[in-house]
Order: sequence, then structure tokens, then C-alpha cells
Amino acid sequence: MTTYILRRLVLMIPVAFLVTVGVFVLVRLSPGDPVLVFAGEERDPAALDAMRHEMGLDQPLPVQYVVWLGHLAQGDLGRSFQTHQRVLEAVLERLPATAELGFAALLFSVTVALVIGILSAVKRNSVVDLLSTSITLAGVSFPSFFLGIVLILLFAYVIPGRIFPPGGYTPLSQDVGDNLRRLVLPAVTLATASLAVNVRQIRSSLLDVFGQDYMRTARGKGLRERTVISRHALKNALIPVVTLIGIQVGAIIEGAFITEQIFFWPGIGRLAVQAIPSGDYPVVQGVVLISAFSYMMSTLLVDVLYARLDPRISYEAAAV
Amino acid sequence: MTGTTLPVVLRVPAAGRASSIGYFLRRNPRMIIGGALVVAWLFIAAFAPFISPYDPIKVDPQNSLIPPFTQGHVLGTDDLGRDVLSRVMWGSRVSLSVGLISVSIGFLVGVSVGLAAGYLGGRFDLFAMRVIDALLAFPALVLAIAITAALGPQIQNAMIAIGIVAIPAYARLTRGQVLAVRSREFIVAARAIGCSPLRIVMRHIFPSVTNALIVQATLSTAFAILAEAALSFLGLGPQPPYPSWGQDINYSQRYLPNLKWWMSVGPGLAIFSAVFAFNFLGDALRDALDPRLRRSG
Repeated sequence: MTTYILRRLVLMIPVAFLVTVGVFVLVRLSPGDPVLVFAGEERDPAALDAMRHEMGLDQPLPVQYVVWLGHLAQGDLGRSFQTHQRVLEAVLERLPATAELGFAALLFSVTVALVIGILSAVKRNSVVDLLSTSITLAGVSFPSFFLGIVLILLFAYVIPGRIFPPGGYTPLSQDVGDNLRRLVLPAVTLATASLAVNVRQIRSSLLDVFGQDYMRTARGKGLRERTVISRHALKNALIPVVTLIGIQVGAIIEGAFITEQIFFWPGIGRLAVQAIPSGDYPVVQGVVLISAFSYMMSTLLVDVLYARLDPRISYEAAAV
Repeated sequence: MTGTTLPVVLRVPAAGRASSIGYFLRRNPRMIIGGALVVAWLFIAAFAPFISPYDPIKVDPQNSLIPPFTQGHVLGTDDLGRDVLSRVMWGSRVSLSVGLISVSIGFLVGVSVGLAAGYLGGRFDLFAMRVIDALLAFPALVLAIAITAALGPQIQNAMIAIGIVAIPAYARLTRGQVLAVRSREFIVAARAIGCSPLRIVMRHIFPSVTNALIVQATLSTAFAILAEAALSFLGLGPQPPYPSWGQDINYSQRYLPNLKWWMSVGPGLAIFSAVFAFNFLGDALRDALDPRLRRSG
């Protein structure tokens, strides 16, 4: 197992290198002169040149890349052109909000998917099954930003009593009740697309397991149906779901860009989206890079977890 | 020779191609529903200038915020008096063109890389697959947002961004299939009779991948439409006043407290039905064309 993890980490190095090159090139492709954006009102050519020199932008591109990578290795993602705040600091300030939203969405998506997926597989081809399969297909196709708007319309404006506010954020430390009230709509919005994928996966892996010999044996020895499902079917069927949760970390990161925008949720997605129109590239670069690395790490974590959960999987041969 | 019997030729009813297609479609109702919806959207997109009831960008302040089914506006009007139905119809041109062109970019580049990497192997395969891994390291929409933000908020850039995001799926799929057939007898035979590598790849390997690629192309068109709508929603697609589904939903958000819901419902349902159509068709095609990928249940 340790060898496998080490090998995966070594294999990640070239990929991580290419990711950093990609992000660096993307930012350098951006239109406009970053010095002009950073300088604000300052237009004196000598001052601008000095600033360009100070920022290292008068160096050849490969040199700029190496310098940037060196800073990156020390956790320095640069400064925002607009606020002049350190990017890492800005990201860390907003990370708790994104993490809270992501965690709530994941929890909601997995819990609801388990209930619907199990019902749907146990009562295969019934009305429940038909309904849940149709809803899941619809869920995959439903744009999250439209769902968010529908939810805001319903729960904040149409249904009297304003059950949930249309947006905004109250830190958990300030008011737990208000924080949770504001969390519901964005979490449901963010969870819906992955909920649909989860239901599909749970249903289909349960159906696979139902056809196995050990299920017949379990039923044959007189176990109750509930025990057969919870002890024998679910334990095996949930292994692929772990992989899916890993993939969903990516879906949740990208969904946060949209959901946070709709609900004025002050997370890292909103930070990046707001930085785009003003050409605040270090912020966009920082958030994109952090998203990519979090996604890569979550994929690795899932693969390791997968091996722990399922002793049948041997990673010695499947390492490359 | 007595007692010989002539073979009896049963007269096969002149079923023809039409009825066999009919039989196939009857057995695949999802393909009919998905296909019909896709054709309907393609028709609307192609003929929007002729069938849309109003000019989608003409401002008419006297008719602003008219509810649906009133004064000849089936989906109502927005705050500037523009007909929502007409904007939805014209918006389909953006969504479908971005969808189809970006999928073509992803298809062409991805399949070429996959064929070359799978067939050539060695260093090229190693390098190409690391680049593909690097593309996969980004959550898809985040990469599309980053590319569009870097290139500038324009429809062509959205196409390029979504196209780049689509490349890995085609490249991996194609490479996998090529590796599976590369050492089969018919490839060895083709090599033995002196076929050029290009001919082997195009005439012998590529046809074995097409079914899986058709399924992938249909499903990734659904993703591309959704991604374009998301980019437009974030202001990274076509710029106002040109109609675009995502951008129109974003714009309508400011009227939610006044309960002017119809401004967002039109484009929202349009995105949903277009994405649903391609997903539905893709699922049905997967079952029909590629039984190996068929999901259980």
C-alpha cells in the first residue's frame, strides 16, 4: 500500500508540473497589462517601469515561471491587483464558507441518494423506481443556477413566511441558527446534480450485488431481507460510491463557482468570479490552482480509501 | 433422380429498410423522445430568424414585464419589453453552436491524440497522457472558466474553452480502444501486407471506436450546452444585448423579489430540455450501439 501511494505521488509530479505550467501560461495569455491594473491611477512611465521590474515582469517568460514556482513552493500566490491583499490570505479567509457549503452539499447528496437508491433498487421496476430514475435523469440535466433561482423564488418570495433567506452568509460562530437557515438553499442547489449521479450509481451497484451468489446464500440461510440488504448488499455496493464521492469533490468545487454567485455566499468561487471582470489574475490563478490541487489530492485519497475498503483490489499490478 | 425436393423459398415480405428502422425505434422509445427533442432544438436554432415572433433585442419599454400568454407574448416580456420566447429561440443558436463546435474541437483533437498515443505508444504516449492527466486534474468547469477568463469573454473563446475541456474524454476513450485492438490479428495482417500506419489507424482501428465515440459526442454535447450556459451566467459568454440562455437567467435574477418569474423560467426550461434531450439520446445510443457500456438495470 505504501509503495502504491508513493508511486502515485511520484506520478503526480509531472502532472502537477504541467498544471502549474498551464495556469501560468493562461494568466500570461490574458489581455491587458497587469502592471497597469496593479498601478491603478499611476501612469508615470518611469514609475510603471519600476513597478514592472519589481514584479519581475521584465524578465523572460521561463525566468518568470521559475520565480513564480519558487514563490508558489513557499505558499506565496502573489497579491490581488485590486485589494493588494495576499491571495493565499484572501483564499484562507473564504475557505471556511466554501468548505461548509461543500460539506453540507455532500452530506445532503449522499444521504438522500442512499435512501432513494436503495428504495429504487429493492423495488426495481416499480413506480418508485420509475419515478426516481426519471427524477435523477432530470436532475443531471437541470442547470444548478436555474434550480437556485427556482428555490429562491419559492422559499424566499412565493411561500409566505420567508422560510429561507434568498442569500447571504452568517458565520457559524456568530449565529448557528441563521447560518443553517442560509445554508439550506445553496446546499440543496449544489447537491442536486451530484445527487442524481449518486442515486444512479447506488442503484446500479446494488443491482449488480443482488445478482451475486452470496446474496442467494444469505437469503437461503433464512436471513431477514433487511439484514441481507444492510449486512451483505450495501457493504459491497457502497465501494464504488466512495470513488464517486471523490469525483464529486471536483463537482462541488466547480459548482461552488456558480452557487456562491447566486446566493452571495462569500466563498472562494465567488472570490474568483468577482476577480475575472476586473482582470485580477493572481486571484483567479490562485483559486484555479488550489481547486486543481484539491481535486488531485481528493482523487488520490479516494483511490487509497478504495483499496482499504475492498481487500480484493490489488494495487501492485495496477499501479501504472 | 426422383423424390428430390426443390428448396422452398419462403417469400420474405418486402419489409424494407423503413420498417426495420421503425422496429428499431419502437424498441428504443428513449431514442425517439431524445432524438425528436434534439431535432426540434436544431430546427429552432436554424430557423430562429424566421420563426421567432419578435426581434429579440428590440427594446419596447411600453410592453415591459408583460406576464406570459398576454398580448401575444407566450413567455411574456422582460424589463426592456423584449419578447422572452424570441430571446429563447435566438439563444438556442448560441447554445447549440457552442455545443456542437466545442464538441467538434474536443472530438478532433482528442481522437487524434488518442489514436496517435495508442498506436505509436512509447514516449509520445507517455507525454500525451500526462498532458491529458493535467487537463483532468482541473474540475471541468473551473478549467473552462479559467480559459475563458484568460482569453476574454467572447462566444468563440467559450467554444475553445469547452472544446479543450472535452479533449481528455475522447483521447482516453480512443486510446483505450486502440490498445485493445492494436495486437489483434487483423491489425497484424494489415501490417504484414504493408499498410501504412496512417491507413491502419484510419481504416482498421478508427471504425472500431466510432460507436463509443458517437455516444460520447452526444453526451458531451449535453455537457457543452450546460457549460456554455454556466459561462454565460457568469458573464463569460456572448455579451448583451445578444440573447443567451445563461446570461438571460443571470439578468432575470434582479426581478425575483418582484415575482417576475417568467424572465428566468423560459431560458431555464430551454437549457433543461436541450441538455435533457442530448443526455436522453446519449443514454439510448449507449444501450443500442455499445452494449459493453450498458449500465446494469
